[in-house]
Amino acid sequence: AMEKMSRVTTALGGSALTGRTMHCHLDAPANAISVCRDAAQVVVAGRSIFKIYAIEDEQFVEKLNLRVGRKPSLNLSCADVVWHQMDENLLATAATNGVVVTWNLGRPSRNKQDQLFTEHKRTVNKVCFHPTEAHVLLSGSQDGFMKCFDLRRKDSVSTFSGEAPEAGRADGEVLWVCHRPPDVFPESTKKVGLEVSTPPSRPPRLGRRQACDSSPQSLQGLPPWLLSLLEPLTFSPHGPPPAGQSESVRDVQFSIRDYFTFASTFENGNVQLWDIRRPDRCERMFTAHNGPVFCCDWHPEDRGWLATGGRDKMVKVWDMTTHRAKEVHCVQTIASVARVKWRPECRHHLATCSMMVDHNIYVWDVRRPFVPAAMFEEHRDVTTGIAWRHPHDPSFLLSGSKDSTLCQHLFRDASQPVERANPEGLCYGLFGDLAFAAKESLVATESGRKPYAGDRRHPIFFKRKLDPAEPFVGLASSALSVFEIEPGSGSMSWFVDTAERYALAGRPLAELCDHNAKVARELGRNQVAQTWTMLRIIYCSPGLASATSLNHSVGKGSSCGVPLMNSFNLKDMAPGLGSETRLDRSKGDTRSDTVLLDSSATLITNEDNEETEGSDVPADYLLGDVEGEEEELYLLDPEHAHPEEPEYVLPQEAFPLRHEIVDTPPGPEHLQDKADSPHVSGSEADAASLAPVDSSFSLISIPHALYDTRLPPDFFSALVCDMLRFYAEQGDVQMAVSVLIVLGERVRKDIDEQTQEHWYASYIDLLQRFCLWNVSNQVVKLSTSRAISCLNQASTTLHVNCSHCKRPMSSRGWVCDRCHRCASMCAVCHHVVKGLFVWCQGCSHGGHLQHIMKWLEGSSHCPAGCGHLCEYS
Amino acid sequence: MFVARHIAADHKDLIHDVSFDFHGRRMATCSSDQSVKVWDKSESGDWHCTASWKTHSGSVWRVTWAHPEFGQVLASCSFDRTAAVWEEIVGESNDKLRGQSHWVKRTTLVDSRTSVTDVKFAPKHMGLMLATCSADGIVRIYEAPDVMNLSQWSLQHEISCKLSCSCISWNPSRKYAKAETLMTVTDPVHDIAFAPNLGRSFHILAVATKDVRIFTLKPVRKELTSSGGPTKFEIHIVAQFDNHNSQVWRVSWNITGTVLASSGDDGCVRLWKANYMDNWKCTGILKGNGSPVNGNSQQGNSNPSLGSNIPNLQNSLNGSSSGRKHS
Repeated sequence: AMEKMSRVTTALGGSALTGRTMHCHLDAPANAISVCRDAAQVVVAGRSIFKIYAIEDEQFVEKLNLRVGRKPSLNLSCADVVWHQMDENLLATAATNGVVVTWNLGRPSRNKQDQLFTEHKRTVNKVCFHPTEAHVLLSGSQDGFMKCFDLRRKDSVSTFSGEAPEAGRADGEVLWVCHRPPDVFPESTKKVGLEVSTPPSRPPRLGRRQACDSSPQSLQGLPPWLLSLLEPLTFSPHGPPPAGQSESVRDVQFSIRDYFTFASTFENGNVQLWDIRRPDRCERMFTAHNGPVFCCDWHPEDRGWLATGGRDKMVKVWDMTTHRAKEVHCVQTIASVARVKWRPECRHHLATCSMMVDHNIYVWDVRRPFVPAAMFEEHRDVTTGIAWRHPHDPSFLLSGSKDSTLCQHLFRDASQPVERANPEGLCYGLFGDLAFAAKESLVATESGRKPYAGDRRHPIFFKRKLDPAEPFVGLASSALSVFEIEPGSGSMSWFVDTAERYALAGRPLAELCDHNAKVARELGRNQVAQTWTMLRIIYCSPGLASATSLNHSVGKGSSCGVPLMNSFNLKDMAPGLGSETRLDRSKGDTRSDTVLLDSSATLITNEDNEETEGSDVPADYLLGDVEGEEEELYLLDPEHAHPEEPEYVLPQEAFPLRHEIVDTPPGPEHLQDKADSPHVSGSEADAASLAPVDSSFSLISIPHALYDTRLPPDFFSALVCDMLRFYAEQGDVQMAVSVLIVLGERVRKDIDEQTQEHWYASYIDLLQRFCLWNVSNQVVKLSTSRAISCLNQASTTLHVNCSHCKRPMSSRGWVCDRCHRCASMCAVCHHVVKGLFVWCQGCSHGGHLQHIMKWLEGSSHCPAGCGHLCEYS
Repeated sequence: MFVARHIAADHKDLIHDVSFDFHGRRMATCSSDQSVKVWDKSESGDWHCTASWKTHSGSVWRVTWAHPEFGQVLASCSFDRTAAVWEEIVGESNDKLRGQSHWVKRTTLVDSRTSVTDVKFAPKHMGLMLATCSADGIVRIYEAPDVMNLSQWSLQHEISCKLSCSCISWNPSRKYAKAETLMTVTDPVHDIAFAPNLGRSFHILAVATKDVRIFTLKPVRKELTSSGGPTKFEIHIVAQFDNHNSQVWRVSWNITGTVLASSGDDGCVRLWKANYMDNWKCTGILKGNGSPVNGNSQQGNSNPSLGSNIPNLQNSLNGSSSGRKHS
């Protein structure tokens, strides 16, 4: 074994490490790992495993099982393991039963166990060799004590308590040590320098030590230059304080910078700094974390930086060179930090792993404390030990885990969360504005930036190498901007304006259509305007108007008129028939008049017995509608109806219409029959006209057809429905719903209930987004969909108190049950309030909104004189 | 057409998501610096940060608003494997004076074992529900049975997608809530968004991957008699644009579902709109830093004929378990 080891060591001397990302299965979960200084072997220790593996290029090879012996001993249940960084044969383990064991691989026997220290009462969490002293070992235990062992002695040379003892310092044992790094001496002298430590007489009892004279006798004979380098190491005469009073020690680490210093971390969140010569009290103590500090690591370069990790999920970097420990960096991880290890050759990088929940290993750049620079996701259970393979190689990381595997991670194979993180945010606003946040480097300058070319399917293989030498570019940051849309150009202001100005009910249909057409036209929405106009023509054409006027005794809906033409064929109708239309119209009028007298009565009873909101057209109104006709006739002018006209280009889209007149409606004979019978039910007529009408049937043809020939509104219902669907599909559900409401029964039956409900709900949702509550409520009220119209009946209960007896009003109405007085009296004018009533929720007094507002301008007290300081919000 | 208004966000790391509220007057941003900021629009149109607080112990990937009917409520999700629900508390007079509002955590959803990559509230008509998805490919749907109690959420569904999930989108339809996965998109998907459906008979889905793709999902001969099984959809790709050079990171629909905005590695926002023939075209390019972009007339090569090449993408996901909620 020795031979092989030395060979590997020499090989390592000159060249870099080789290897790949790999793992091997262990027999049992690992608790800790440690790397030999030759970087070619790793020791894995756990509750039931203690093995040395050789790290070869392609695999881990088991080299030695240190768990020998017949029966399993608790001494072998390891919580921690450490390999001496100066002596390849020397290992130490911390056992869960409180025993510290050292191992000498150089022993010829199978059992390599060297020494056994049974001084700790509880689990030893950590063992640590002095970085330069071969024989000095430090341990930290759950029992709250840290012990320093000289491996040439059978027991500890000093004990440090997490709790600072009150007693002053007394002379005690003296251990002569050399505080220069041994490597300044030639090999032989180094050995002498270590040998000169004078072992004073053995303490009489274990755990309790007495002061004894330390004679410098053993120093005699040493060269004076060496003596000058030696310092006495004094130990406290005090025994350890009773167990149970101290805070558990989670980690101990010798400083690399300062020979005598070590740091220890505690479960109460404290970190202590000790001088190894002064066990009586710590040099410095500060609270580093909220909750236990599980780990610490001194920066490998001589900077006095100490990284600590705690259950509070934070890694903090402290500058210990200043008088008070100063927090220089703080990294927030996502789980409690179990181990922290500075990355070699990378000043700002450190690796962490967690003891709960999170199985991954992260490498952080402490200057970018929010996003890990690299992430290793190989383990399936908690990672318990991490170690960089070589103190000067930043790319190999070894790890052991509770999932019973040992892994070697290559840094270039790490996943980089930063690379995967989405660098942009984008959101469309209500009014058409866009919020956009993007990584500054993406938006800064176009030149010189290469588009990302990597294939994200294989994040493992194609990765920008994270170069340790690469200068840190600083924190990534994003530029946030809102692109505000200018009014008019595609913003949603048309929607708001339209919603507010449209008239949906309360006026005759023709007037509603005209009004809405006017609104649309004023907003520059010519297509919509035209649609309204056409609707008006379809459902209350002049012919109908005059026809209905004959029929004013019925007084119901303009839709009742069914002027039918005897025959029609859209193909036959040339678009240029405009000049003749006036004549046709007058003919049509007379013709329809004759039909109407019969048909209206039946139709009304069939469909119009239910009130249709928005279309209650009093007959007398229609008599007066003649004025409006002029306008309408203008709109009917063929030049407005031509498909080539710019108005027909979708106002917001620059593309040609695709519509053509595709198909002809039902054959002339067929309809002629129908026309002769005024009792044709609406649905039958629908069925007849529906079937052949292609969905792309042109809207454009309607004015012609109508103008020429006076078709029944029912004939158009399919077209109108298609038109509504078209608008809804184009995102203008407002139009769909508005027409639906205005036309009421005329089209409702032709659109399935679900679609209507969907439209209503979408429109109401939009209105509410724009805070158009009144319009929204109006739409709810006017809707005929059961699911919609019940919307404004939900949550309409108001709980009020009587303004006299101050008790809850139980009955409906404004008369109090108890005092039998009207509760809605205005406190200012003492009249009963009709209309808007505002009251204070504190004292139940209130009144007319205007009165109360006026009152509150002058006084903040209740106008009823109850002394309450009323609050109205 | 657009005026850029830059906002000093003062996030300490990358911003991953921006989100407008229901009324478009508030905006939330989230960042890798583990914080969420809420911005309110003043009368003059300026955005003021009214709250900024640490929400997670890892990068916050997304932030989203609940319908205001449920109060001022935000949900966030993070690399730290949790999603959280936040509610604004009013009446803190101290905060009010400083123009700051106070947000409290109502719940933490800790079911995921990996990074939670997206969180979205369901459409309002489904009640107070939210969906999360995580890097290990599990979609979770939570519901708050009592809308007044934001601290109690029950896990309704847990759907394993086998592939790592990066984003989710609720189908806004009134009729169904279905989770769908398009299996033919072979590149990593960074964002996905259903277009608001205001009255269409089909759905439009935008996907941000190495290009922008727009799919339509048309129900196949919908049986109104509802035989019970999930509706089958005929899926067509109606547009595909690689104008962003490489990765497309975000897609967002305007309120009416007619304009799609996408942003990509080129640092630009592009607007896409369909004409009447369902030809999707680029109608605008916005540079992230507000500078003008050359070649504004640049148009994408919409390819409607592609639809025939890729018929019937699989509706792979579940459907049956969470799907078909009639409102």
